[in-house]
Amino acid sequence: MRSELLKGYRMLDLADEKGALCGKIFADMGADVIKVEPPEGCSTRRIPPFLGDGADRRSCYALAYHAGKRSVSLNLDSPEGPKLLLELAKTADFLVESFPRGYLESRGLGYDRMEQVNPRLIYTSVTPFGDKGPGRDYQWADIIGWAAGGMMFQMGEEGRPPLQMAQPQAGLHAGAEAAVSSLIAHYARGTDGRGQHVVVDLQACVVWTLMNEQAMPLLHGDYLRRSGVFTGAIGGRRKTVFRCKDGFISGLIAGGAYLPSTNALIGWMKEEGAAPDFLLREGGLKSLTPSGFMKATAEDLKELDLAEEAVERFLMTKTKAEVWENILKRRLLAAPVATVADLAADPQLKAREYFVEVEGPAADHKIVLPGAFAKLSQTPVGPAGPSPRIGEHNEEVYGQLLGLNAEQLQALRATHTI
Amino acid sequence: MKRYAFEGIHVLDFTWYGVGPVTTKYLADNGADVIRIESRTRVDGLRMAPPWKDGKPDLDGSQFFASYNTSKKGITLDMSKPKARELFLRLLPWADVVSESFTPKTLRNWELDYAHLSAIKPELIMLSTCMMGQSGPHRDYAGFGNLMAAISGFYSIAGYSPDELCPPYGAYTDFIAPRFSACALIAALDYKRRTGKGQYIDMSQYEAALHFLAPAMVDYFASGRVLQPCGNRSERYAPHGAYRCADEGEHERWIAIAVATDEQWTAMLEILRPGASDRPFASAAERFANVSALDDLVGGLVRGRQVEELTAALQQAGVAAYPVQNCMDLHHDPNLEAFDFWHWLDHAKMGPSPYEGLEHRLSRTPGELRWPAPTLGQHNEEIFGELLGMSRAEIAELIEQKVIF
Repeated sequence: MRSELLKGYRMLDLADEKGALCGKIFADMGADVIKVEPPEGCSTRRIPPFLGDGADRRSCYALAYHAGKRSVSLNLDSPEGPKLLLELAKTADFLVESFPRGYLESRGLGYDRMEQVNPRLIYTSVTPFGDKGPGRDYQWADIIGWAAGGMMFQMGEEGRPPLQMAQPQAGLHAGAEAAVSSLIAHYARGTDGRGQHVVVDLQACVVWTLMNEQAMPLLHGDYLRRSGVFTGAIGGRRKTVFRCKDGFISGLIAGGAYLPSTNALIGWMKEEGAAPDFLLREGGLKSLTPSGFMKATAEDLKELDLAEEAVERFLMTKTKAEVWENILKRRLLAAPVATVADLAADPQLKAREYFVEVEGPAADHKIVLPGAFAKLSQTPVGPAGPSPRIGEHNEEVYGQLLGLNAEQLQALRATHTI
Repeated sequence: MKRYAFEGIHVLDFTWYGVGPVTTKYLADNGADVIRIESRTRVDGLRMAPPWKDGKPDLDGSQFFASYNTSKKGITLDMSKPKARELFLRLLPWADVVSESFTPKTLRNWELDYAHLSAIKPELIMLSTCMMGQSGPHRDYAGFGNLMAAISGFYSIAGYSPDELCPPYGAYTDFIAPRFSACALIAALDYKRRTGKGQYIDMSQYEAALHFLAPAMVDYFASGRVLQPCGNRSERYAPHGAYRCADEGEHERWIAIAVATDEQWTAMLEILRPGASDRPFASAAERFANVSALDDLVGGLVRGRQVEELTAALQQAGVAAYPVQNCMDLHHDPNLEAFDFWHWLDHAKMGPSPYEGLEHRLSRTPGELRWPAPTLGQHNEEIFGELLGMSRAEIAELIEQKVIF
């Protein structure tokens, strides 16, 4: 299925892991996204984990984030390479890239040159640290962006190393932001037909994940320390992850907005004879009134620690599925900590026919992708097809868009241009 | 040429908390007229959450709320009252977009869901964003973004080991979903401009967030492997992680380092052990086979170093490194400053307050934080007066009746 939403628009995708998701989102929305990659393949094709071996080895990252794109190979370091890209750019509406600063300019492919050949073009550059500061030429890896943007400092325990996630996230934020900002420029183009240069700052994209912590140091005088599975956000050291029989449950035993949920949980424990006496005392836990938490004494908080222990003991007798059922039934502000396996089996996602199967690189691999990122009534969006092999669409693209014949393509191959 | 991309676009915005307001902020900062419809009977929870001006709780003093609502105007309507719903319907012809982020039943109960609104205005674009989407057995699940981060798998891939989870801070998925809902909304506006057709956008924050786990999903469905927390281990870089530098007073200082090549490793050793003749773990194979010993070696060599100096030296030598920045550091970061990221805006009640800026820059029609967030109902007189032609007396009466409330 290819969406009607951006049908008729073309994007040249020269981005690595700092921007691959941009082209994926555009492909999901129906644009013709052409991945322009060096003959040895984009670096994203070498990101583990892999499916298959040897020549059939395929990166899960590339399978996921190049789905629905076409691929042409093009060696920009060859004498003819830049000319071909300029020719392709004449046919394009968007270009997204994430090369080190100055590289494309050095090949005669900077924004100023591109604008001359195609004034309509929206040219989006994803940069790790912006294009003006002392870090504009810095080396980058995803963990570096996670650290620079402040999320890493919040993850982990004080005194132990700050953490990233097992699926690196910083480049994904930048890629999605590149999609949004390219579309903003696209909407502006609608009034006068002119494109522009868009610069995305990856570090700033990570800062935007920090919720309300960014201004805390300036307004409250201090910054948040990381605190493992405990929340540091509401003044006390309260646990947010509890063990259960087959995994973990996230929740919070607290007052305020959480009070009805806390009471409902205690109610459930009571029904099953698992609530210790102090939880059932008249008036409830002292610290759980809205004002009580702010004024809680050390003794009140000790009581809350004991409550958390009792809750965990209770949850240890339940599976994630049993707890989830009760979360829904009793309106608890809690959630199972889903693993990737749980997501694959989730009835809510099944009911909405979320996951989408596309053709795999080999017959024995079924490739299943996250589906529509939103359900649009008039122009449904979603994965547009499988992830291409390197240069899979050379004949099609260079032939149809640039009018190159078989002989000319052969000559380009002979000079290692494509 | 217009100054801003969305000049002339009108949005009636019922959204609250994180995802919806961050989505419509993209439009507002780029010139759209976005009217937040709030109510004192049902206050946006972010108005009741810190950080607060002077540390004092106040519905008009939360920077948490303010950050996500720049360049918007604010009115109040108690939508549980029929008269308020009538006023909303009088505003509807003005709007290109209606956005909301309640649980699905809320607008149906008010008879203001897409079926009703599109019957009046077929070319309307409407965005509904909630945790689980408008359909399915769990559609009425209500919770905060931190719980969605657990439900959508992010808690399960963060930690020192599978048994020691350390979740991402806060409502993590609230900062994934808006990037997707903004794409859908802007592309729908473009589609409407070209075809005249509006549409309904049913955005499940859960389904948007899973796009940030797509490689792990592909891997699981094809191979059965379940992605698990692994500290900072990587199959691509070694060393790879955060290493503690010299503390500064009571403040822990850490540096993030990622080494991809033998050349980078050699350059790094030269900086950490100048003049040493041996080259431990010289090959990538040795480094990946001995990650614990490698981390111990790097950790020992880094421990006494000053983090900023070491970062500069490593980057000078071509090694990816950066301080692991806390939220205070971010306000002094030279790269964010060079991108003109931070802004102090003069809020009606809070006075000068610190706002995050945009994550991108457009060369020709740049968006900007046009003005600070509205106080609750700040623009009641302006909107009801100018858009609906109501007199001051009429407005005052409706305030008295707690309709405009």
